[in-house]
Amino acid sequence: MLVSLDKTISLINEGKVLHIAADDSLLSQLPKGNWIGGTTPYFISEEGGMLTKDKLFVNEIDFAEEIRIDSYGKYNVFQVVDDCYDNGLTMIILPFGSEVLAKYAKEAPEVEELLMHPIVGWVSGLDLNVGGEAKVYDGKTGESYTDKAVVMYMKLPDDKSAMINIVNIFEDDKTDAAITFPDNTLSVTGCKVNGQDVNFADYIAKKGIDTQMPLVADYNGVFINTSIKEVGEGKVDLYAPVFKGVEYRFATHVSDYAKEFEKRINEAGAGSPFFSCNCILNYLYGNLEGQKTPPYAGPVTFGEVAYQLLNQTLVYCEIV
Amino acid sequence: MDANIKGKFKQILEGKVKYTSGNLAVNMLISRLQKKIAADPGSFDACIQEIDAFAAKYPSIVQTDYAKILAL
Repeated sequence: MLVSLDKTISLINEGKVLHIAADDSLLSQLPKGNWIGGTTPYFISEEGGMLTKDKLFVNEIDFAEEIRIDSYGKYNVFQVVDDCYDNGLTMIILPFGSEVLAKYAKEAPEVEELLMHPIVGWVSGLDLNVGGEAKVYDGKTGESYTDKAVVMYMKLPDDKSAMINIVNIFEDDKTDAAITFPDNTLSVTGCKVNGQDVNFADYIAKKGIDTQMPLVADYNGVFINTSIKEVGEGKVDLYAPVFKGVEYRFATHVSDYAKEFEKRINEAGAGSPFFSCNCILNYLYGNLEGQKTPPYAGPVTFGEVAYQLLNQTLVYCEIV
Repeated sequence: MDANIKGKFKQILEGKVKYTSGNLAVNMLISRLQKKIAADPGSFDACIQEIDAFAAKYPSIVQTDYAKILAL
């Protein structure tokens, strides 16, 4: 929930274990304690989507038997699969634009051990009207980073487990062209469209594709998005990588994001998440300011992590 | 792994039978193993070992999937 700075400081000083999302001007005032945080001024709260630099979004973690907090750079970020609790949940926050994020994004799906340990999280960001740097905070040390991921490991009771899931309002059109890529990459030049070699930027321009719609890949019935960052001269930059050997199609058009979220949430059956986050691109493209997505409330993020990096997706985690 | 369930997984991983789990991690695992089998058809036993390891860690999740897969 969104709370004041004073309330957040009070919770930290009481020794509560917290996950905190807020503008850097607030996170930088917090005392040391059992918390991790990341920067974003955007939220979809219980009252609706908003930009605020007056409140912090706080999740209290009251189900963990033990916690540990650590931070990792690009050379050791996958140590998380060794450092986690055997029956636990790992929460990771990575700074937007960092090398550790690029490393995690490109390599996570191929780390065999990754799916053996529930890992959820998000990419910290900034006020797009002002600029600045995306940061993550290790509350234990009080340090903030622009080049490291911060991680909280939570040990769960033996009779509990963490269930990570997603709500994706996009799906592909199976009659549309199938697109494949030669490498795992965040920046694309060539690709194959229905088996024919083409330049991806030229293909998008020629077809007049709405690049607010993501590329969608079918992961055994679950649609995973990759969002277009920029279409340049002969090159397309992406917010998450495309992967070799995976078939993609552009998503079918979604006109009313809030209504589509309501429909998908009802179809899936709303759970009782202790944490959720939704993508800044959904917030911006879907005009989610003032809109609610109950029961899901949380930070609006610059990438979402459900094991691997996702785009334009609502991610949530329940303890069951 | 039981021979019946192993046979069903072979069909799923080779893309001959479609099965979607209610669990995100299971779907991501199946998707990754389908990619692995497509690239190297000889990797089936290694894929089954990965499923066994996942099942040993999350027996309650996988039992639900096993029951549904056997009924395919």
